[in-house]
Amino acid sequence: MKDKLFRDILPRVAKPARYSGGEYNMIKKDWNLSRTCMVLAFPDVYEVGMSHLGSRILYGLVNEKSEHLVERTFAPWPDMESLMRAENIPLYSLESFRPLADFEVIGFSMQYELSISNVLNMLSLGQVPLWSGERRDEHPLIIAGGPVAFNPEPMAEFFDLFIIGDGEEVLLELLDAVEQTRGIQRSERLLRMAAIEGVYVPSLYQVTYNESGSVDRRIALHPPAPERIRKRVVKDLDQAYFPNQPLVPHLGIIHDRAVLEVMRGCQRGCRFCQAGMVYRPVRERSPGLLKDQARRQLHSTGYDELSLASLSTLDYSAVLSLVKDLVAENRAKGVGVALPSLRVDAFSVDLANEVQKVRKTTLTLAPEAGSQRLRDIINKNVSEEQLYEAVEAAFRSGWLSLKLYFMYGLPTETEEDLLAIPDILQKVQAIGNRLARRPVEIRASLACFVPKAHTPFQWQGQDSIEVLDEKRRLISKKRRKNIKISFHDSRVSFLEGVIARGDRRLARVIHRAWEKGCKFDGWSEYFNFERWMEAFAEFGVAPESYTADRSYGDKLPWDFIDIGVSKEFLYEENEKALMGELSWDCRETGCNECGICPALGVALDIKGEESCV
Amino acid sequence: MRLRACYRLGPDLRFLSNLDTMHLLERALRRADLPYALSQGFNPHIRLSMGTVLPVGLWSEAEYFDLELAEEIPLREFIQRLNAVLPPDLYVRQAVEIGSDTPALMNSVNAAAYTLVLDETDFPAAEFFAGLLVEQHLIVKSRGKKKDLDKDLRSGIYRIDIEEQRPGWTSTLWVAAGEPLNVRYDELVDLLEARGLARKRIKDVYRQGNYIYRAPVFASPIEKVK
Repeated sequence: MKDKLFRDILPRVAKPARYSGGEYNMIKKDWNLSRTCMVLAFPDVYEVGMSHLGSRILYGLVNEKSEHLVERTFAPWPDMESLMRAENIPLYSLESFRPLADFEVIGFSMQYELSISNVLNMLSLGQVPLWSGERRDEHPLIIAGGPVAFNPEPMAEFFDLFIIGDGEEVLLELLDAVEQTRGIQRSERLLRMAAIEGVYVPSLYQVTYNESGSVDRRIALHPPAPERIRKRVVKDLDQAYFPNQPLVPHLGIIHDRAVLEVMRGCQRGCRFCQAGMVYRPVRERSPGLLKDQARRQLHSTGYDELSLASLSTLDYSAVLSLVKDLVAENRAKGVGVALPSLRVDAFSVDLANEVQKVRKTTLTLAPEAGSQRLRDIINKNVSEEQLYEAVEAAFRSGWLSLKLYFMYGLPTETEEDLLAIPDILQKVQAIGNRLARRPVEIRASLACFVPKAHTPFQWQGQDSIEVLDEKRRLISKKRRKNIKISFHDSRVSFLEGVIARGDRRLARVIHRAWEKGCKFDGWSEYFNFERWMEAFAEFGVAPESYTADRSYGDKLPWDFIDIGVSKEFLYEENEKALMGELSWDCRETGCNECGICPALGVALDIKGEESCV
Repeated sequence: MRLRACYRLGPDLRFLSNLDTMHLLERALRRADLPYALSQGFNPHIRLSMGTVLPVGLWSEAEYFDLELAEEIPLREFIQRLNAVLPPDLYVRQAVEIGSDTPALMNSVNAAAYTLVLDETDFPAAEFFAGLLVEQHLIVKSRGKKKDLDKDLRSGIYRIDIEEQRPGWTSTLWVAAGEPLNVRYDELVDLLEARGLARKRIKDVYRQGNYIYRAPVFASPIEKVK
């Protein structure tokens, strides 16, 4: 296979290094000596998948810490796909160039709702039946994990099982079970795996729906199948595996740098944010360990940049001293430190100045909503004063371009709230032009609010495409020179919203959309809204019923997934939102009773010696 | 200290772009913790300069780079430490110290040799390639900057070696590179195809080396500075 690829196929495609493997630090284990063989499948193009930290962790964990084997595969870009189909080349792994069907487990990383069309496309290219019900004993087990798995229902009929929560806690246990159950009938195997905490086997349940669309009943078909699936958590990040020798791709990828995970979880409590709810509690990694990991990783990769990743890195308790130490240690070698996201405050800008080794290009801040009223509703604890302080600090220290992230279509949003966005942009521009040495460039990116499962806003309706487009026009009317505003495609967000709060009745629609050629739906050049709408129409499924608001009494399709945070807490947060009441970060003001600590037997784990707030 | 190194980039790495290879070398220099010199300024970078661009899809027996080091280091040690952290299909063959006045690779390399491997014994390779050299003009559509304009490669084809293998043939074409005439390898393959050598019969193509050509001598960029 490799000879044919290298000689006949890869010379004819764009960016062939996506498909040729052999990256530095690649681990190629002996197939025959490995206990089970799994392939990690990322349902997007190589440059995106290789940037994903979770996949790096799982790849290293399985290969370094167990006698199982894991290889990699990615969604081929359409030029490669059509050649593969024409030449009858199945989707293969980059380590041993084996077809996907040779593996005992195919594990998909689900980071984005619309990746599901690529999953089906990859299974079809891998010559594996798409529906779990059609797979026989000899077929691979198709599994998935990642944030999208927190509402697995729309995809329940394609996957044999889901891993809920921190994958590194479960995967080795699962692979052991795969080995131990080899030779047993598939359904019996799955039943045994369902006994592992954090594993959800959808075929063990039957779900019926009310006429209104809400869940009527969920019945466990086999008695040992647990009623609720509790997520798994890494309790102590210092004890968790982290790769010191990650793969170094040959071609430029999206995040082409060494990465440290300084903490997991975020307790700011933004009410729209799924990650902030499902990845609780906050668990930090010790600064000493991080510095050691930085040394090892830079030594093994040769990267010239080190990024400090987490949901909110500026909230890491020892961020200041960590950044200073890392910069001091690496500056002479020409190695820089990067912060992926900033808080909206002057401290963040100061710290950004600390690490900025290149020309001061663009600084990014995320106030999320234009008016104070709306920021209070979403619990984005940022005041306009803090924003302007941050902006002043940025322009005073030499930045010339600023990017601001907002959402529109938020609950209770009015015209006034919307017009506050261009107002802020103009004020920011005025501050820049007063303080900077030449006219500044202001850019804003406006995403459509999509209510997500397991958030306080899971009951909220999502604005229709028409309403969003109307709001876009309203904001656009106030455009000014040197202020660029870009809007997310409301049709993409609509479809995201349908799947994000969807249920099992969507499976046929997703399958049909794929049959019609839908793939790479997250890429504007391939997204085809009309085909999706045709697929909905063919099965008489109304997509708007999924984006509509839900009532508190409804049984939600994802209620059986236990994230540790209680539904009562989400309910109270939604109620507080509507009254404009704030909730504070429990690290600063004490427990908010979200339920995570008692439910999972965990605790906030703050490792830094200092506080920098 | 300034040095010039010759490396082999094997078939497994043939799909790397020139920029990919440069980043790979920079990362390897950092992994090896060699005393590379950094440029001044806010965004310091390693003072590494690459030779002529190797087209994506080709591997090569001999490519070159120039590098500045902040400290003296024995060449043998440089090669050993770098090779220890390079991927399996890439290694430095040779390195020499060069003076600060040595012209850059980009400005001195003016020829390259491409080897085609044909695995068919029945192809009349000797006559086919001899036939090329008797022509006055060899016109192809340019694949370079002046895309699709006619381009005459003849004056840029200096020499063709043919060697019988069992089975098949290898043929090495010595051609002009850089200014004033740059014979691209894809143009060469177009030319051969137009004259009856189907692309699919070529089992492998690689660059044998880059040269500083002053008729009649092809000197490697390392021989030239020794």
